[in-house]
Amino acid sequence: MGFASIAGIVSADTAGQTKYVTYRKVPAVVTGAGTWYDYSMAPGNPAPQYYAATPLSAQVLARSTDGGFQHGGNVAPLTKYVRRVTAMAVSAAGVPQLLTLCDYLMFYPFVDMGTADVQTMDNTQVLTRSTDGVGVRIMAVLVAPHGLVGDSFTVTYTNSAGVAGRVTPAHTMSTAIAVNGTILTTQQTGQGRNGPFLTLQAGDVGVRSIESVQCAAGTDVGLFTLVLVKPLAELTVREITAPTEKDFLLNSAAKLPVVDDDAYLNFIACPNGSLTGIPLLGDLTFLWG
Amino acid sequence: MAGFTSLDDIVNEMTTNGKFRRTDWNKLTHAVGTQAAGTWYALPHSTGNPGAMTLGAVGTNLAFHPCTDRTAGAIPHGGDVSTDTKHIMNASAFSAAATTMPSIFMLVDMLGWYPVTTTTTTTGQTLVNSATVTASSSSGLLLTYAGWDAQSYTPVRFTTTTTLPTGLSLNTTYYLVRVSATTARVATSLANVDSGTVVAYTDAGTGTHTMTVYLGERAPSEGAGVQAFLTPSVALGAGTPNITLTYTDAAGNAGNTTPATLPQSNATAPIGQIEYSGTGAGKYGPFVPLAAGDSGIRTIQTFQYSVTHTSGTTNIVLCRPLLTLPMTTVGVASERDLLNQLPSLPRVYDGACLVWLMYAGAATPVSSAFYGHLDFAWG
Repeated sequence: MGFASIAGIVSADTAGQTKYVTYRKVPAVVTGAGTWYDYSMAPGNPAPQYYAATPLSAQVLARSTDGGFQHGGNVAPLTKYVRRVTAMAVSAAGVPQLLTLCDYLMFYPFVDMGTADVQTMDNTQVLTRSTDGVGVRIMAVLVAPHGLVGDSFTVTYTNSAGVAGRVTPAHTMSTAIAVNGTILTTQQTGQGRNGPFLTLQAGDVGVRSIESVQCAAGTDVGLFTLVLVKPLAELTVREITAPTEKDFLLNSAAKLPVVDDDAYLNFIACPNGSLTGIPLLGDLTFLWG
Repeated sequence: MAGFTSLDDIVNEMTTNGKFRRTDWNKLTHAVGTQAAGTWYALPHSTGNPGAMTLGAVGTNLAFHPCTDRTAGAIPHGGDVSTDTKHIMNASAFSAAATTMPSIFMLVDMLGWYPVTTTTTTTGQTLVNSATVTASSSSGLLLTYAGWDAQSYTPVRFTTTTTLPTGLSLNTTYYLVRVSATTARVATSLANVDSGTVVAYTDAGTGTHTMTVYLGERAPSEGAGVQAFLTPSVALGAGTPNITLTYTDAAGNAGNTTPATLPQSNATAPIGQIEYSGTGAGKYGPFVPLAAGDSGIRTIQTFQYSVTHTSGTTNIVLCRPLLTLPMTTVGVASERDLLNQLPSLPRVYDGACLVWLMYAGAATPVSSAFYGHLDFAWG
């Protein structure tokens, strides 16, 4: 399903096929400029989640069981979209702030930074959304603070074509920030830090599952979680005197991000400093048809 | 033809024909209890201009109580315009009071509420949306019924097991003109309720007749886009129950249920708070989550708390959201041009009861003043 025209969108809206939700997240940790942060672990509404599950075993995330933005129940065979997003950060330390809305698909918890052994994943659970893996990215989130020694790691995965044994380049861990929720491969300066998602092997366009992970030295302390996410939308909070509003129909050439049934939605962010105690709030409007 | 055919038509209707109204409003946050950060509040029963609406036990407990622009506390929008249609052209909101920011204001058409004085029970409670009526043309055109002190302006439709009284029709919306707790007359429009012009049916009909709340005149397809929220009119006592509603959805399916264990009511929710909004698990805002795929509510059938509050009165409100205004900065107006949004120009139906809901982004002091305006046009 979907929309065939602007008129179809208007009809769906006037027929009430919409869901409006507000959110307010207040990180309790000291983040740093240029180091990405995972808002799903921040207190507030929606309530945080902490990637708690059996170590190294794939665990699916879903709205109905784990929360995230409450975009409403399943709508299949119709298709749900993000229609609008508003974000506000009213303290100077909270701007500018780049936000990426993600569907958190599945995670592999508690990768040990204190060993150079290959750590093999249990893939009893598999993707329930974006099952072909196209567009799915890997995100490394710190869940127990590390010692900032600057170790690196590689991830072996199955790509969206179903080819196993694909390997990422080595990614260097942050040497600047060590608070839970830090996206470990990001930092304001330094080599080998290329944004919130791991660089995949050349030619790959997505990930179905992770087979293993290996730290190069294995001499650090701390734990991280590998999360499979599908990035859906981006917006930037630029100033504190005006809300950031993005209407995907009007501002993105009608490219409305698709929200799969039971998707677990939350933000990751690239802040310009510490977000501790800085509320990020706003709303999301979903539309289906 | 109702509605606007072009930008030129809008300009013509507003300027040449004068079909335009501006309304300024001023509402204060509730006077008791700082409005907590991350929590929604309903402002119809706070003071300001328009004044406070009286929610709670008006009429029969658990029975539907209508709201219209005739209801005290509704924002005036210029009266009925049928056969034209009225729309909101633009809107603004601002506050000059310290620590009121950030916040989000949402304008809704409040269709009515079910008062719940019985918040100290965990028993499932049946809400009143209909009654069996007896018609008598020889005693002043009275309808007589029991169990529902139905208020004036309540929109109803009639069904019957045999034949309705001559002069009343099936599939036609009527509005009650309350005479007593057990009697009313019926009018064919809100304006006729105002003037006391009632339907002169000529016999009692045959069989059993039933009148049922009908909200389709202010919600497309009867219930499309209609949402529910709960707000106390007497502060709730201790207790954090999960809230369960069963309702008839916009497609007419009865018995739909909100998610089984959600949302969760706040302990000691003050007057005006949307009682299950806030921070943490089980908190939603501003509306009660519906069953998967549902796009609105026609009526609510039952209400249940999983554990009791120790006291208080709450209200289950039905409304249709129209627009939102996010605000970040004290003294800076949030302005919304609704002509250039899609779908454009939210419709304001005849009788719409416009009120504000507020999302407090920060702890907001009591009685903080917010101001703004609404521009309406019709054609």
